[in-house]
Amino acid sequence: MPATFKRVGRDRVRVRLGHDEVAVLRDLPGQLRAVLTEEGDDPVNRRLFPPAYLEPGDAERDAEYRRLMHDELVQAKLANVELVAGTLAKGSPSARRWTVDLTEEEATAWLGVLNDLRLALGVRLEITEDFDGQVDDTDPRAPAMHLLAYLGWLEEHLLEALAAT
Amino acid sequence: MRHHMGMSTTAPVRERTEEHEDVVEPDIPWVVIVWNDPVNLMSYVVFVLQKLFGYSKEKATRLMLDVHHRGKAVVSSGPRERAEFDVYRLHGAGLWATMQKDR
Repeated sequence: MPATFKRVGRDRVRVRLGHDEVAVLRDLPGQLRAVLTEEGDDPVNRRLFPPAYLEPGDAERDAEYRRLMHDELVQAKLANVELVAGTLAKGSPSARRWTVDLTEEEATAWLGVLNDLRLALGVRLEITEDFDGQVDDTDPRAPAMHLLAYLGWLEEHLLEALAAT
Repeated sequence: MRHHMGMSTTAPVRERTEEHEDVVEPDIPWVVIVWNDPVNLMSYVVFVLQKLFGYSKEKATRLMLDVHHRGKAVVSSGPRERAEFDVYRLHGAGLWATMQKDR
């Protein structure tokens, strides 16, 4: 099987995926966008945008940090989502594989989106111990756990490609 | 964090000290802490620490292992504004980071 992510030249990363994989991935930027733009104080939000200060005496500083930085963090993550959605809409399908070349900026956005998706999924699935990718198929959470494992696998391979300069 | 099988073991490298030698100033003792979380990949944490702080792979790996085994590690320190900027960048990358006065 060809590598999923592969450096081509100095500043491009080639993505090659099966059509079923692309179909799964295309649904995800929209889901992350919905999570990021949700107002409220749910556990996913608290994990994606944690406090900067924990000490009770720093509560005011933390409120100030949130006031100044929260929207910027949301915007940066949303910009990643748009870049990834854009590349997923492109690409050239052949009989068996779908291929797209990412710029460095797009590849970094993929990394951020894969990671944010995994963080959000991890909270939703209430993952509390180091997740080793093993899924118990009798668990009702199994489909989402498989997705979490798959996204982790993708992220690991993307990291390897990015490190290979 | 998930284990990354390809992680190489490297001999300890003498730590460069410049990173912690900030100008002597009474109001600099803030530390930035990264906490362990069950989802972030070990390789991802190393990548982020290298990218954001310019740390060597050895130093970033050592910090990541501290996070993994001890639950947390101090990844940078300095004046409050600087520490807050580091926390902001770590939050942008999805790491669970906080800051506090160094005691």
